[in-house]
Amino acid sequence: MIEVDGLSKTFRVHKKAPGFRASVRALFRRNWTEKAAVRDVSFRIDEGEIVGLVGANGAGKTTLVKMLSGVIHPSSGDAHVLGYRPWERDDRFRSQMALIMGQKASLWWDLPAGDGFLLLREIYRIPDDRFQANLDELSEMLDVRDLLDIQVRRLSLGERMKMELIAALLHTPRVVYLDEPTIGLDLSAQRAIREFILTYRERHRPAMIVTSHYMDDIERLCERIMILRDGEMVYDGSRDRILSEYAGHKILIAHLRSEPTSEALTALRAHGEILAHDDVTVRLEVARTAVAAAAAALLERLSVADLTIEEVGIGSIIERLQTREPSA
Amino acid sequence: MWRYVRLYAYFLRFSMSKAMEFRVDFFFRILMDSVFYLISLGFFGILFQHTSALAGWNLDQVLIFISSLFFLDAVHMTLVANNYWAFPDLVNQGKLDYYLIRPVAPLFFLTLREFAANSFLNLFIAIGILAWSFVRYPGELGMGPIALHVVLLLVGVYLHTLLYLIFLIPVFWLQHAEGSRSLFFGIELLAERPHRIYQGALKRLLLSVIPFAVLISLPTYLLFEGATLTGLGHIALVTAGLTVATYLFWRIGLRAYSSASS
Repeated sequence: MIEVDGLSKTFRVHKKAPGFRASVRALFRRNWTEKAAVRDVSFRIDEGEIVGLVGANGAGKTTLVKMLSGVIHPSSGDAHVLGYRPWERDDRFRSQMALIMGQKASLWWDLPAGDGFLLLREIYRIPDDRFQANLDELSEMLDVRDLLDIQVRRLSLGERMKMELIAALLHTPRVVYLDEPTIGLDLSAQRAIREFILTYRERHRPAMIVTSHYMDDIERLCERIMILRDGEMVYDGSRDRILSEYAGHKILIAHLRSEPTSEALTALRAHGEILAHDDVTVRLEVARTAVAAAAAALLERLSVADLTIEEVGIGSIIERLQTREPSA
Repeated sequence: MWRYVRLYAYFLRFSMSKAMEFRVDFFFRILMDSVFYLISLGFFGILFQHTSALAGWNLDQVLIFISSLFFLDAVHMTLVANNYWAFPDLVNQGKLDYYLIRPVAPLFFLTLREFAANSFLNLFIAIGILAWSFVRYPGELGMGPIALHVVLLLVGVYLHTLLYLIFLIPVFWLQHAEGSRSLFFGIELLAERPHRIYQGALKRLLLSVIPFAVLISLPTYLLFEGATLTGLGHIALVTAGLTVATYLFWRIGLRAYSSASS
């Protein structure tokens, strides 16, 4: 459904040192530099898959999604979505695809969302009966039936996002790109959006790519995760494989009766990395094979009131993979 | 085709609803355009106190020319102006994204999405002035030539839209459109005078490469001197050439579109 082969995108950016003099100099002599936003990325996504695309700011997530939705042209490489090159913008492709950007509104700000949906019915040539059925289904699922007649600008951020989702899915797209769909939303709104996406996927089986900085989104929505670092794909595999492959550590959390001495902390560093410490707590990350020795050292060196051992969360591993290779 | 008509009906409905909310702007636009009409008419009135002919036209003919200019301006202000005003921001802020992913010609959206309901009344005023200039004309123009003149003015509106777009497309590379927009407005002033006052290369340029003379001046000459196949063929050729050139330039611009980071 989505086939990507060696896709790259390079932007030419103008660099300028701070200050007035540099501004004058830049007026006559530009210092251009090439920034590779996406480098030689290849993958394939099938019908019904939800893939989490994660990476730090500037890793190339949005650029990749914009190439696959046909908004921007790639610098090199190729991609086919539903059999079409996205950037050729064939109407048959655009009729079966949706892009939802959490940070950009597509609906008319001064009009009720319901009016915007009518315009979309015409744009996507949705037959009346199917339009009404889809609108009923989506507004029911998102619990916004009573808000369709209210101006978009009077809705809360969470309600607006729900309307954007309806706007994007009214034509039942076969490929859906969700770029930061929960950004800025409170926890309950995030949860509602996530549940909606999962239910929608079950019912309609589109291929979905979700980008998000919230690890909860990725953990709960996506069975497969792709991680971009500086434009390069550093991981493409199942959510479970991340744990088995990269969770080589555990976290020991010691709650103390008294402040740890610097000598004790130095000794503990021989067993692993101290992630944090204060007067009453020490968090120590150690290799799975060294957990027993590290626990013994903690009990011996510090006045420990309580000791817990935790698995490293998938979110932490992903965060590490985004910025550097995790220690195995 | 009918789909686009239905889409435009939605644009009209939405724009009307929006305009009613901003009453001050609604009335201010009417006042602003009325002042423009009065100043332009006054300018030529004063000019004809010192001369009896301008580029071969008497005052009655110049009034038809200037009324035709009002008509073109009012149509542009009503249908296109607001959209093109927002165009550079759409490109710079990455808001073009949603126009590019819909299965509708993006230029249709970008050019016609906002209907300026507050300029709509001015369109009636401009039509009234144009009708008045025909009625008070002492000679016999005939309904056929007048109808053809109105059609050619609508072609002029189309050409004006294309020319304006050509001057906005550089925003894909320059990020700012103030310079190219000002250049357009500067050159556009040349269309507000009969083209026969210009000589040599400038006149040829205005009739071909940057065809501002084809918007109003040439159709007005054809009205008074009789439409010839050469004249109409010239307008058709310029229209076709400019359509192809604008479309190709737009495609090249889109390739350079980088959207905006999230």
